[in-house]
Amino acid sequence: MCPPEHFGVLYEINPWMHHRVPVDRERAHSQWEQLKRTLEQAGAQVEVQEPRPDLPDLVFTANAGIVNGSQFVPSRFRHPERQAEEPHDVAWFESHGFTVEHLPEHVHHEGAGDALPFGDVLLSGYRFRSDAASHAYLSRLTGAAVRSVELADDRLYHLDLTFCPLDERRAIVAPDGWDAYGRKVVEALVPEPLVLDLDETLAFCANSVVVGSTVVMARCPPAVGRRLEAWGFDVAVCDVGEFLKAGGACRCLTLALDVTVGPQGARSAGPGGRSADSSTPS
Amino acid sequence: MATEVVEVEGHIIDSLILAKILDTIVDAGADYRIVDVQIGRASTDTSRARIEMVGDDDVLTTLVSRLQLHGANRVVDVDATLQACDRDGVLPEGFYSTTNLATEVRVHGRWIEVENPEMDCAVVVDNVGGVDGGHARTTPMHRVRRGDHVVVGLDGVRVQPLERPRGANPFEFMASEVSSEKPKEVLVAEVADRIRGCKDAGGKLLAVCGPAVIHTGAGPDVARLVRKGWVDVLFAGNGFAAHDIESNVLGTSLGVLLREGRPVEHGHSNHLRVINEIRRRGSIAAAVDDGYLTGGVMYECVTHDVPFVLGGSVRDDGPLPDVYTDVVEAADAMRALVPGVSVSVMLASTLHAIATGNLLPAGVETFVVDINQAVVTKLADRGSHQALGIVTDVGLFAGLLADSLCP
Repeated sequence: MCPPEHFGVLYEINPWMHHRVPVDRERAHSQWEQLKRTLEQAGAQVEVQEPRPDLPDLVFTANAGIVNGSQFVPSRFRHPERQAEEPHDVAWFESHGFTVEHLPEHVHHEGAGDALPFGDVLLSGYRFRSDAASHAYLSRLTGAAVRSVELADDRLYHLDLTFCPLDERRAIVAPDGWDAYGRKVVEALVPEPLVLDLDETLAFCANSVVVGSTVVMARCPPAVGRRLEAWGFDVAVCDVGEFLKAGGACRCLTLALDVTVGPQGARSAGPGGRSADSSTPS
Repeated sequence: MATEVVEVEGHIIDSLILAKILDTIVDAGADYRIVDVQIGRASTDTSRARIEMVGDDDVLTTLVSRLQLHGANRVVDVDATLQACDRDGVLPEGFYSTTNLATEVRVHGRWIEVENPEMDCAVVVDNVGGVDGGHARTTPMHRVRRGDHVVVGLDGVRVQPLERPRGANPFEFMASEVSSEKPKEVLVAEVADRIRGCKDAGGKLLAVCGPAVIHTGAGPDVARLVRKGWVDVLFAGNGFAAHDIESNVLGTSLGVLLREGRPVEHGHSNHLRVINEIRRRGSIAAAVDDGYLTGGVMYECVTHDVPFVLGGSVRDDGPLPDVYTDVVEAADAMRALVPGVSVSVMLASTLHAIATGNLLPAGVETFVVDINQAVVTKLADRGSHQALGIVTDVGLFAGLLADSLCP
């Protein structure tokens, strides 16, 4: 995670962002601290990346890249506003012993924001921030089969606003965010989906972090909570309202470091599994 | 109508990307052809597809940008490389060697069709830079002239694979099948149907005959097919024509009485005597004119204006004056008669069947009838894709075919 020292809505690169809506930096900081504490209480160990004054969105670490064991594939950001984050992310991962491998320069892909492992495959979104053409390169670099899903709603500009793996059979899914082909692909992929309606989706329910059996969410509508609890998950609600002003919630603020993608990736059960499980790159 | 080619790679099958791309093309009102597809074996392997789209220029322009969204990128074609010949009859090094499939070459950004597909030739592009964008033709090595622009390398050349309908019977699957264990009458009836189909569509029938046609007594049957207008072009050798004439003038084929099947005394020289008489008259047509030759396949060809080429060989007797003794000239004469042919029947002829097979475009339906399976296989092995081999006695086959087509 990266503390929101310099967070703010300084530009507009998604429909949630309005630079005239001010961010309460103090509030943002306490919300971020609360999220970090909640994750730690759920059993996660949190590494902190140093913030940079010129990079307000560095706080959304999910977009740094894709972690695959000791491999790190840094993002190729679509917007110039975020492209300067890349060298900073690469430096962090290199200094922490990761092997950094790059996507070619002519494709865009925004890391774990647009690619989440489920079962043996890596589900990856494309259209608003990532290119479909990046998926074949991603597959080649990570060794994982990639299922491509076209995102259909610009408010749901990253896959992680529409999809949240819970364990090897279950995931929170938001079909409103995908085109008809993408819905079929996810339908074939996820045996037990928790389907969100559009309101639940726009409440960032899919942008949740799963640590063991705890699902950390920005908001939890009753229907969603009941379903998760019936499956044996504990729901922890963390208000990240200041960050919603930039179009990001809990998962956007985290990047799981214990992820292995593809067929070799060891999966752990959801409830009752390891504290920070590998099926949940946040 | 314009053409664009896009290529897409990834887990395009499971991600339904390929389906989406094809749907998008059809929805836009364009047509597509999957030029190449490689499906990954393991689930982690990516697949790759190359899709050719045909449609209006503006539709394709929009499509290309829409498909880019799904990861399909335009394949940038390059023009064919042309090099001028520096000597008559000699191709530039690295010349493109043709197949017998329909072929196009790209010149100044436009794909132009190569005329007269023929295997083992070069492609010469004429009028390069002309207002019509030039035209391309297959040309055998000996025919190129100094200054001819010949395609070298593989860039800017594309070949249309044959569409092979798949089905249960050998006619649905015309893929060099050799059938020795099929009911012959059924096969003959179907060959007759295919010939009718091709002729109805305006195509020509080419018959290629070996001397065994005459030896086995099938001469009158083939003559009947010529007389009734089924045969449009005939290729044969000195032997076939000589024995056809011998049988009509003297009643023997290689000295054997066709009616009785027994040799006549001194019959071995019969064919030499008729060849000599034809040579005396100057040509087969002259022998028909003066009443020396009054029946048979060659007679029918002359009287019904069916063009023929008699190609010579080293062991020919005589030969007949109509025989091309220069093999290169013979091949050129045959080549000149190939355009328009859509079906060919090769009857008991090894040499001429293979020579003809080399000249024919792949789309020509070819029926090879021979008692020897090796001939049929050999023709197939040389790349004459659309060949159906029928292993049987040509005498019986030709009789049945003539009965079927000329009831």
